[in-house]
Amino acid sequence: MQNSIRCIASIAAVLAMGWQEARATPPAVELKVPVEYYKLQNGLRVVLSQDHTAPTVCVAVYYRIGFRIEPKDRTGFAHLFEHMMFQGSQNLGKMEFIKLVQQNGGILNGSTRFDFTNYFEILPSNKLETALWAEADRMNGLAVTEDNLKNQQGVVGNEVKGAVINRPYGGFPWLDMPQYANSNWYNAHNFYGELRDIEAATLTEVQSFFKTYYAPNNAALAIVGDFDPVQARQMVEKYFGGIKQSQLPAVPDLAEPKQEKEKRASKVDALAQRPAIAIAYHMPERNTPEYYAMGLIDQILVEGDDSLEYQELVQRKGLTAEVEGGINYLGNMFNYKGPMLFMADFKTDPGTSPDTVVTAWDGPIEALRTKLVSKETLDRARVKLRSSLYDSMGAIGGFGLADLLASFALFDDNPTRINTLVSEFEKVTPQLVQKAAQEYLRPENRTVLVLETKSAEGPAAPKKN
Amino acid sequence: MNPQLNIKAIAAVTAACAALLLSAVPCFAQQKQTPPAGGPPKPFTVPAHETYELPNGMKVTLVPYGNLPKVTLSLVVRTGNLNEPAGMPGLADLACKLMKEGTTSKSSKQIAEDSASMGGAITITAGVDESDVDTDVLSEFGPRAAALLADVAEHPLFPESELPRLKNDALRQLSIAKSVPQSMALERFRKILYGDHAYGTVFPTEESINKTTVADIKKYYQGNFGAARAHLYVAGRFDVGEMKTAVATAFGGWAKGPSALINTPKVKAQHVLDVTDRPGAAQSVLLVGLPVPDPTSPDAIPLAVTNALLGGSFGSRITSNIREQKGYTYSPRSEISRRYHDAYWAESADVTTQFTGPSLKEIFREIDRLSKEPPGDTELKGIQRYMSGLFVIQNSSRSALIGQLRNVDFQGLGEDYLKTYVQKINAVVPADVQKQTAEYIKPEAMTIVVVGDKAKISEQLVPFAPAAKQ
Repeated sequence: MQNSIRCIASIAAVLAMGWQEARATPPAVELKVPVEYYKLQNGLRVVLSQDHTAPTVCVAVYYRIGFRIEPKDRTGFAHLFEHMMFQGSQNLGKMEFIKLVQQNGGILNGSTRFDFTNYFEILPSNKLETALWAEADRMNGLAVTEDNLKNQQGVVGNEVKGAVINRPYGGFPWLDMPQYANSNWYNAHNFYGELRDIEAATLTEVQSFFKTYYAPNNAALAIVGDFDPVQARQMVEKYFGGIKQSQLPAVPDLAEPKQEKEKRASKVDALAQRPAIAIAYHMPERNTPEYYAMGLIDQILVEGDDSLEYQELVQRKGLTAEVEGGINYLGNMFNYKGPMLFMADFKTDPGTSPDTVVTAWDGPIEALRTKLVSKETLDRARVKLRSSLYDSMGAIGGFGLADLLASFALFDDNPTRINTLVSEFEKVTPQLVQKAAQEYLRPENRTVLVLETKSAEGPAAPKKN
Repeated sequence: MNPQLNIKAIAAVTAACAALLLSAVPCFAQQKQTPPAGGPPKPFTVPAHETYELPNGMKVTLVPYGNLPKVTLSLVVRTGNLNEPAGMPGLADLACKLMKEGTTSKSSKQIAEDSASMGGAITITAGVDESDVDTDVLSEFGPRAAALLADVAEHPLFPESELPRLKNDALRQLSIAKSVPQSMALERFRKILYGDHAYGTVFPTEESINKTTVADIKKYYQGNFGAARAHLYVAGRFDVGEMKTAVATAFGGWAKGPSALINTPKVKAQHVLDVTDRPGAAQSVLLVGLPVPDPTSPDAIPLAVTNALLGGSFGSRITSNIREQKGYTYSPRSEISRRYHDAYWAESADVTTQFTGPSLKEIFREIDRLSKEPPGDTELKGIQRYMSGLFVIQNSSRSALIGQLRNVDFQGLGEDYLKTYVQKINAVVPADVQKQTAEYIKPEAMTIVVVGDKAKISEQLVPFAPAAKQ
């Protein structure tokens, strides 16, 4: 009885699908993001983007100082410094910034990435002025103490322990791989920081770092959400207009030399129960035609369960259950400015040799390098890319959009790029995909990092009391 | 008042002066500005949504929302680990994995490519009480996505050929998950609280994975999947008329299936100290808590306010103490963890090994303080404004909206719940917070789970062992 109902339902479904697929692909629903962009006298880049869907507003301040260019004897300093920005400014003492945002109904956070450090809050939209005042206050100057620093050295030490030291696969491969694949110190150091470096930081260094990099002419402010642009401009001028510029130091040479020989490395993870492998390739320079091609190659190879590597490694070979991968593990393919890696990683089994995995991985790679990709595959990659771009924009409370707009203001001086990105990917041809694959997916351009367990059987199971 | 607060106030002033000396500004010149208050608040109502039932009993909720050209479809089926037969933990998870391996008319590769060509992927996951069949696609493909979702949910093939690979994946994932200290702590905590009830099992076993057959999976599916137990949520940009037609066509023929199983555990607080040894661990993972009134209780909202003030927000008391004052930890938090008509309160924190005992002491000190003295008006008002603002954010994205609505439906909280939530949050008074703490968040009844280096922490933990009390 139940079966026959199922059977009929299934025929109905098939018919419905057939009818749907017979139609031409429906036209894409267009999206045009409103963008207003200008600079204050002191050099602060300001991006406004209205969206009145919800009565909330996101305020995001991006400073163009990431962990790449932190002081050489102070690994992890840029991130430790980020914590200090919550410890006190001229008018807000310790915990007061956090409480100000919370007590006005908002959430906040900050993070340190390759090429920027960001601070943002999402608040009910009537609190825009409160947020701008508070961000301007800490751009104006820090008021932090030895005690604050000592406290945050403890907090950051615990952050590193929790994320890296005390967990299996800690730091793999997002923190490890740049250290193996890159050769320029700026790209290749431990940017979460050695505990001894974190502990050695001084208050004088904190103040000097602030003076050097935390200035309006080294920052972008993005406001996204429900606000009146005329009022917003007035508030921005009122609170940020009087902040002094600084003389910025020259940006060091971040370039990576062209890699001509495959690198292989391994590390032992005493806490891991299963081996893992990561494979990374140096990316073409950002915003070049090959860069956009790599964006689509990422979609074709590793994004989603239709991707070539998922089909190969998971479905056909059963070597792993998930293929993680992408461009910029600490963000996305848009929010960085400097050398970058396209990477993938997967967990395997004790009996599986790394060579088996790499050989399987190379199947789809070689196909891309030797044959033109089909129109169907490339079109699907474009659809996936557009969908994931909208997801990036749609992240919580306007923050996702603010992130892209601030990055494009800081790195390209052009946040209106947000509306032309899709067309850049439309320009990519099968020939360009092949050319990019031939140059950037060369074995000589990659690093293979193998994570080994402590013994073939794995460490002893935890003992119960 | 509290002498401790006075000492802190003095210390804070001294600290501020020290900082100012550093920046070479005389201390007395400091006249702090008051933050601008901002404009009058704008009204907020949860975005309009429509719920209706198909003739076969499946519920549908449509929420047109937002500017981004995307739409999320989430089919929630009332089945999960709760519905597994005895000795088969993980069966629900394996069934979900095998569901993705093809339908009677489509191979797994076709499903993957079809969903990807709409800008999405089909994800099928089993939870304790509910399982999800979801996708999130570009707006122009909304109706087509409904058809694919229905096919996957209604006509799984359950191919024998794929099961060995999925079982091997499950064994690999099990061995990895069991080595993560936070998961180890959760496993102990749930076992102690819920015992043999399904809520007490966090992981499957190697044995249960190994013995699972396609016949087990089919039986589980037939006994638990069906229109009467399903609710489809659609949120984002889509044409309501087209979507309704597509949903009716795609799901209209799904058999009702059996009705949902209700099996709420009777839980008692278990005051024990449970230590799992992890030699050489740089941190101790703490999970400390006890059962509290379930989401349908009139105390649920006052308790949620209490939790936010005590440990559930960045500016909360426990976080201020063990993170911002002491630096023992990075991301401590308390939460009220909920299942069907069931809840527990728990504080979790990864703390530096040498401060394991001191961290517990401070956590209990903050609980004790709140149970003896009501919070100040300003502090409570701040938390209430925080929760009111958070409520807006929690109703301002496709996935968050679905999360809110399905929670109301799942727990049976009623139509008015979201409409009156903010009002109820703001009706809580300081005495309520003290009372909630004293009545429900009782250190002397708590389960204390620690995963850490036993040789280094045993002595620190002596004062917290139940036997050591009194």
